[in-house]
Amino acid sequence: MNRYEKAAAAAVALMLAAAGAIFLYAPGDALQGPVQRIFYLHVSSAIAAYGCFAVVLVGGIIYLRNESPAADRFARAGALVGVVFTTVTLVMGMLWAKPIWGSFWTWDARLTSTLVLWIIYAGYLLVRRLAEPGRQAARIAAVVGIFGFIDVPVVHFSVTWWRTQHPGPIVVNNALPAEMLATFLFTLACTLVLAAVLIAIRYRIETLLDAKVAIAEPAKLVSAQQPEAAP
Amino acid sequence: MNPLRVALAVARKDLRSEWRTREVVPALAQFIILALLIGNFGFQIDSRNATTIAPGILWLALVFAGLVAFGRTFAAEREQASLEAMLMTPASPVAIFAGKALAAGALLVICEAVLLPALSILFGTPFSGEVVAAVLLATFGMAALGVLFAAIVARVRARELLLPLLTLPLWIPFVIAGGVAVQSAMGLPGNYQQAIGLLIDFDILFVVLTSLAARFVLDE
Repeated sequence: MNRYEKAAAAAVALMLAAAGAIFLYAPGDALQGPVQRIFYLHVSSAIAAYGCFAVVLVGGIIYLRNESPAADRFARAGALVGVVFTTVTLVMGMLWAKPIWGSFWTWDARLTSTLVLWIIYAGYLLVRRLAEPGRQAARIAAVVGIFGFIDVPVVHFSVTWWRTQHPGPIVVNNALPAEMLATFLFTLACTLVLAAVLIAIRYRIETLLDAKVAIAEPAKLVSAQQPEAAP
Repeated sequence: MNPLRVALAVARKDLRSEWRTREVVPALAQFIILALLIGNFGFQIDSRNATTIAPGILWLALVFAGLVAFGRTFAAEREQASLEAMLMTPASPVAIFAGKALAAGALLVICEAVLLPALSILFGTPFSGEVVAAVLLATFGMAALGVLFAAIVARVRARELLLPLLTLPLWIPFVIAGGVAVQSAMGLPGNYQQAIGLLIDFDILFVVLTSLAARFVLDE
């Protein structure tokens, strides 16, 4: 096992431990019943997604300042992992909303801004796929990443001003019993470790892909110089 | 070089070329009328529900007309490779960008001069200075963002695919605040003053951000 495989195995073990805490240690909710257990991973993956997009933001700013390819690789890795965690957040939230609110979706502030977040970074990944790889794609993506990060609080604020029904923040308000808080914090820590490991692995993959492009590039130049044989 | 004069010169050049070819505005005006037509068939509009539906049709038509208009901003420059020539002059890229945004925004305003009266005539909704003010304020910020992203995708292969994907999520704040402003101007509940204040805030925020980012997008 190389160190990436070891880190991945550790992250999976931690997530299984978090699952154990969620289903065995944490007490059931008096009103919502077992559905409430979705909360632990739902909120943790939302926070992990924000962390990933912060990596995209910082990577983009550093890239625009000094064109460091490492910063751009971090931004790419952060965007991909962040989209995965946003998807987890949205899907788990919908599963929770169906029994509690009676419908999978409402046009509430948090739901709308999370959906916009998902769309923006899915667009970021599409830009990376469609733009000519290299300096241009990296600059374009950096601008998209920075605007995306700024747009999300703006969308959130404008929809909150408009209407909201999402449960308010309960963690910071001391509204959780001690066992639930402990379970939440443990799940959050495990999810953040998983996100960091995924970004590290993705960073490694991006490094190898860049190296492959760098190796293939001179070969392409040589073949382009030779006139094509007539069929 | 005075950046303001550069921006105005670029805007004048774009508007003159539009005046000579008359390509974008007639196409957009037809596009807008078609959007109203489709809105009429998509909803069962009558005199009772027109004010609840018309603001939605207005924003849909405006947003998609804007995408078409801003997508065209760099089309001529790309075909003639004239953007590179402009960037080689000592003029600042930000001033060139501002000129392009000004011209594209002006084209969209001309289309709004078709959209707002047509909406009022066809659906019988009130046409007032309040509606015009809300739409113009939204157009300002939308033009800044739209032209920035048009510049971004100008050199990408699938630009027609990417422009809506990147621009529409960033326009959502304008549609939210502008939507409330137009709804309340047409007699539905909503705080008009607050919505206009938000639109002005968003305009300032995104104009500052796009002018900071324009340097990195145009400078090649």
